[in-house]
Amino acid sequence: MSFPSHAVMSCCPPDQQRARMRIITPSSPRACSSHLNTFTTGLGSQLYTEAAPGAVAKRFISSVSGESALPSNLRLPPNLIGVAPQKRASPSGSDLPVLRRCEADIPAHLAPAQTWLESLGSRDSEPLGVVDLHPDVFSVPLRLDILHAVEVWQRNFKRISHAKVKSRAEVSGGGRKPWNQKGSGRARHGSIRSPLWRGGGVAHGPRGPSSYYYMLPMKVRVQGLKIALTAKLAQDYLHIVDSLEIPTPDPHYLLDLVKHRQWGDSILIVDVGDEFPQNILKATEDMKTVNIIPAIGLNVHSMLKHESLVLTLEAVKFLEKKLLWHDVRYVPLYPFKLPYSDLP
Amino acid sequence: MSVFGGVFRQSSARLFSTVLLLSHAGTCARTRMHAVPKLRELDRWTEKRGVFGVYDNIGILGDFKAHPKDLIRGPVWLRGFSGNELQRLIRKKRMVGGRMLTEDKHSLDKRISFLYRRFNRYGKHR
Repeated sequence: MSFPSHAVMSCCPPDQQRARMRIITPSSPRACSSHLNTFTTGLGSQLYTEAAPGAVAKRFISSVSGESALPSNLRLPPNLIGVAPQKRASPSGSDLPVLRRCEADIPAHLAPAQTWLESLGSRDSEPLGVVDLHPDVFSVPLRLDILHAVEVWQRNFKRISHAKVKSRAEVSGGGRKPWNQKGSGRARHGSIRSPLWRGGGVAHGPRGPSSYYYMLPMKVRVQGLKIALTAKLAQDYLHIVDSLEIPTPDPHYLLDLVKHRQWGDSILIVDVGDEFPQNILKATEDMKTVNIIPAIGLNVHSMLKHESLVLTLEAVKFLEKKLLWHDVRYVPLYPFKLPYSDLP
Repeated sequence: MSVFGGVFRQSSARLFSTVLLLSHAGTCARTRMHAVPKLRELDRWTEKRGVFGVYDNIGILGDFKAHPKDLIRGPVWLRGFSGNELQRLIRKKRMVGGRMLTEDKHSLDKRISFLYRRFNRYGKHR
């Protein structure tokens, strides 16, 4: 099931949207149906679209059974700890200027995805503006099977299993026939280290360090990155930041900022280049769940492990350039690490 | 809609028995709760687990100067290579056979000849 893309969500003032996030309580049928028709988050929008006979049936069910109109797997328990994150207003209806346009050409039938540009300077700073994101990187169809394949590849291609057991030839001893073939009355045996014997070798055990290395096609890995970025944007877990400068090297400042803005439990901060500002390096040094990596280190596993992804503008530019090239490149005649005349 | 009409048309006694039967539905499997082992408590955010997978896309994001197989830490003859046991042993012999200890080399040679004969002379696949 595909998530609704960011551009599809209806734009409206923030307070109306916050009102929609309230849990649906058993109420009069007319109010119930209006809630159902305007419930727009994630899977809810797939289930409760405007359909008069469906809404009538649900009203009838709710009045007969006396329960709330949501099915039991979507109902939140009343003693739930932790507030659901408040949804931000969509940037398409705002007055703030578009501070970054995409460098690459966008196909005519697609519109750029838009998101807020924020700042880490102070805890309560408002979004600085709106940022355009290329739809072929940030609004691709969500192929969960490709995402799964890339994640499994990342787990396994580096794996080397060192499990090894001795076979009957490697266990010490066992060269001599223990007793004569015939006459002793015991079962016939050729060596005391055969797999039948206690202390003998293992017949079909794990043999030596073995590797689970394989490579997925390059375009599959690239598509996995694009899908992960799209998923983060669609689920409101992507934040674009102008730069990573923070006023203090105190880790509490970052934790407070993250908690105030409801970014999530774990953050992955990505920036281009070797050097990062000293303050943010010091702040994230001892923090387990907030990690900072260069843009070259971006990967699907880290994006799935960390709840929220924070990209700088340079990181967005770098990623768009690298990931879009694979849509227009030729098939390699020899590996790309060898020099090509037209590649930089 | 017709389902609800049918329910209301039944007599109250039948409705009561239907409700009883429905509420009795359940499995008879007995779980010995006092013998269930405790879950292993793992820290999901250690240094290793937190940054697992970083630089796996060093080729596609890093101008192809490095390959993900350069990240693999392990025996020399297994970095960026996968094969069955015979292929691994032959590769090991070629790459590090010269500096192996005598007994290990002897076991390696014996194993290679055993596997060669098994794969190429016996059975359905030869």
